Amino acid sequence: MYSLMIKQFLRSRVALVAVVLTLFMGVISILIGKQFLLKQEDTIARVTEQQQQHIERNVAAHTDELGLLLYYVRFALISPPDKLSALSIGQRDVTPGIQSVTIRALEGQKYDTELANPTQQQSGNLDLGFVIIYLFPLVIIAFTFNLLSEETETGTWRLVAVQSRSTFRYLLSKLSVRALFLYGTLFVLLALAVVIIGVPLNGAFAGFVALGVLYLAFWFALCFWVVSFKRGSGFNVLTLLSIWTVLNILLPASVNSYVTAAHPIPESLATTVQQRNSYHEKWDMDKKVTMDKFYAHYPQFARYGVPDQEFKWLWYYAMQQMGDDESATQSQAMRAKIIQREQTSRAIALAVPTLHAQLQFNDLAQTSLGNYVGLLDSATTFHERLRLYFYPKIFDNVSAKGEDWSRFKPEYIRAEPQISWVTMLAPLVVMVLVLAVWALRNARRLTSL
Amino acid sequence: MTRTTIGLIARQFCTTAAHGRALYSILLIMALMLGYAAYSGYKTYTDQNNIREHYQRVVRESWEGNPDKHPHRMAHYGSFAFRLKHPLSQFDFGLESFTGNAVYLEAHKQNSVNFSEATFSTGLLRFGEISLALLLQLILPLFIVFLGFSAVSADREGGALKIMLIQGASWRSILVGKSLGLMALALLVFVPVACVTFVMLLLADEPATGDTVWRYILLLGGYLLFLQIVCVITVIVSAVSASSKMALMNLLGIWLLLAVLLPRTLQALGSYVYPSPSKIEFETAVEEDVLKEGDSHNPNDPHYSALKDSVLRVHHVDSIQKLPFNYSGFVMREGERISANIYDRHLKKLLSVYKQQNSLNRVMAFVNPYVAIRNISMALSGTDFESYVAFQHGAEAYRYQMAQTMNELQMEYISTQQTSISHDHWKELPEYRQEPVSVTSVLKNEVWSFIALLAWGMVAVVLIQRISKTAKAL
Repeated sequence: MYSLMIKQFLRSRVALVAVVLTLFMGVISILIGKQFLLKQEDTIARVTEQQQQHIERNVAAHTDELGLLLYYVRFALISPPDKLSALSIGQRDVTPGIQSVTIRALEGQKYDTELANPTQQQSGNLDLGFVIIYLFPLVIIAFTFNLLSEETETGTWRLVAVQSRSTFRYLLSKLSVRALFLYGTLFVLLALAVVIIGVPLNGAFAGFVALGVLYLAFWFALCFWVVSFKRGSGFNVLTLLSIWTVLNILLPASVNSYVTAAHPIPESLATTVQQRNSYHEKWDMDKKVTMDKFYAHYPQFARYGVPDQEFKWLWYYAMQQMGDDESATQSQAMRAKIIQREQTSRAIALAVPTLHAQLQFNDLAQTSLGNYVGLLDSATTFHERLRLYFYPKIFDNVSAKGEDWSRFKPEYIRAEPQISWVTMLAPLVVMVLVLAVWALRNARRLTSL
Repeated sequence: MTRTTIGLIARQFCTTAAHGRALYSILLIMALMLGYAAYSGYKTYTDQNNIREHYQRVVRESWEGNPDKHPHRMAHYGSFAFRLKHPLSQFDFGLESFTGNAVYLEAHKQNSVNFSEATFSTGLLRFGEISLALLLQLILPLFIVFLGFSAVSADREGGALKIMLIQGASWRSILVGKSLGLMALALLVFVPVACVTFVMLLLADEPATGDTVWRYILLLGGYLLFLQIVCVITVIVSAVSASSKMALMNLLGIWLLLAVLLPRTLQALGSYVYPSPSKIEFETAVEEDVLKEGDSHNPNDPHYSALKDSVLRVHHVDSIQKLPFNYSGFVMREGERISANIYDRHLKKLLSVYKQQNSLNRVMAFVNPYVAIRNISMALSGTDFESYVAFQHGAEAYRYQMAQTMNELQMEYISTQQTSISHDHWKELPEYRQEPVSVTSVLKNEVWSFIALLAWGMVAVVLIQRISKTAKAL
């Protein structure tokens, strides 16, 4: 009977066109992801190559004054993109993956953005995550909305009811034929992604597959649930498409607007203005004021005292330090707000499968807002380490010649994704079960015509 | 005769719809979403503009509050430009969330515009934002489809169509009448949105100028035309489809394709076909060009030593100390001019790549009326790409003015005896003001989108004529 059902399914042109179209869009999305990844990797290669030349050029120009040299020299901290990020680009195109900083005040440097076309960002990326979250449900709807109604509307349902042992089992096998094709498409695309992009077969990828499979299962369950009410084709397609619109457009857009409006971040502007003022105003103050504050922060340098010359790099870097120290409150508040946004979004997403899938895909690919905050935090530690390494050398006026500059290669941070399988999969499992059980109860009444 | 027939058919369509429950649930949902979209648009606009205006004032006060100092110190102290939202951004958010909001302006250096809403957003932002414009562009057409897919096909299936035609109603009056009836239902949503937007403009801190009023009127006109096109297409598809069910399928397919899938796909393809440089590529290119012109800090640089010789010759002196102005201020002014020009050239090139990326989608306006209205709406609401570019240019122009004012003060007053100048001079730099983009330049930028929308209006009329001749009653 299965082979007949498959034949019947393939008879309809819509089915073939939909599968081919999904495959086509999937392949495009994989290519776009690959291009994205290549660009990021190319940028990283450039940064690595340039840091060497950049340091050599500056060392040659400012050998005598280490303080002046370090005014110019930039050190890169790189968060290399995970291969999986090609499948779920997430925030990675908005937030930079490289922090290239001098040892001057960090707050004025770390929020610099990557160049990007805002129109492109607004329209959103076409990655495999999008194809799974957005397009697959549409195909599932197109395949299943008339699962039962086409039989009743063409008059074949009575025949089925009489001839098959269980009408319910009949419907289920019809559904499974459709599921077979769609999951087949999904697996083909995932396999292509592995081949084209070279995604490693690790835990994160397994998570990606599991999430994709369950997400599609949710939509199958939802469609079957709607179908089980035994209404007409028109009613089913209207209902399902409305649900799709609500889950993929209206709810996410509303939730996002809510999060943005509920947690505005004026602290960002406060931070940027404060760090500028705190550093610059020190030029017009008595040196002692700055130095006292500096030594309060770093007592280990107190022996350098208050310089009496008009200009000294010791004083200069102490002033720069004040830019960071005195805007720390604002900066912390901004960070707290960002985390708050992330948490609110996550909490709401637990109840909305589309949002949940998107955020979890991003987590697996390490392209979420949380990963960006992670990079900012790492940049702070990285910067502090450089600072504390160079400060005494600058204060002692050590020559740049004594330093082995080739040691200063870009540093990489590589965080393994923390996969919490339960949080990731449980919401979808629960929803699939609830819908399936409900649909089953409805389906029992199907046999009575 | 025809006019009354059209009116009759339109009225009958509305009364039939009023009997169904669907209309009321749709109106209720739309009302809720309208309220929510309006509130979040208003709140974001008010909050953000208050915050930004506040910091713009703070920055100005701290600029003027600086004590006496060397003007070049002031040029490094610098200033900020915060991007203000247009009052109509309450209606259409456009690119607002993806464009930076704050840029630090200092001598020698063009900083990036930072703190876009997108950098603080979770992955949810990619699903879009709920604005009044989104309701009119995306959701209302879907509801028009829901209400109108069976406009003609149901009459055909119920046999009423035959009777109407026999009684003398022409196909043309049926199609026109149904389209107008459908449009009347769409107005039940559109008119409240238009009124709410009007109230929002009145509530905005910024007093509504003639320019804003023109933008508002053009917006209304554009959306009315767009919605009428959607209504006509819906009725026509209903008339030519084999059954109501088929009509619904066709219409939903068209909606998905035109409003959801094509725009995103074409934009992504545009970026794929025309790759843009990364920041490090861009900055390296600028730096290389600047170094080619000469290094103002290097005393042996050929460009600057030639400059020095010619300046000395013109003023008939043999050393820079004898010049009537401060020479290092002069060199800095020259260096700023050169680097700003180079930066500007590279920025123009970058922006043209972005325009190429967007072009694939923009030409689609002729195939896809949704793209046309989207572009028009963003541009009129001051939230499009061009408005952002205008902000960027304005901020850079102010930065240049600031740096050169300080360089000129240095040329005039600074000497070996005098290393700082009075703080009274700081006021000589005017306050930063965001120059508004005029509605005429919007019309110029979006001329093709307007033409495309008008062309669609004409296509709708032609289609009605065509279908009137070929449509079948059975």
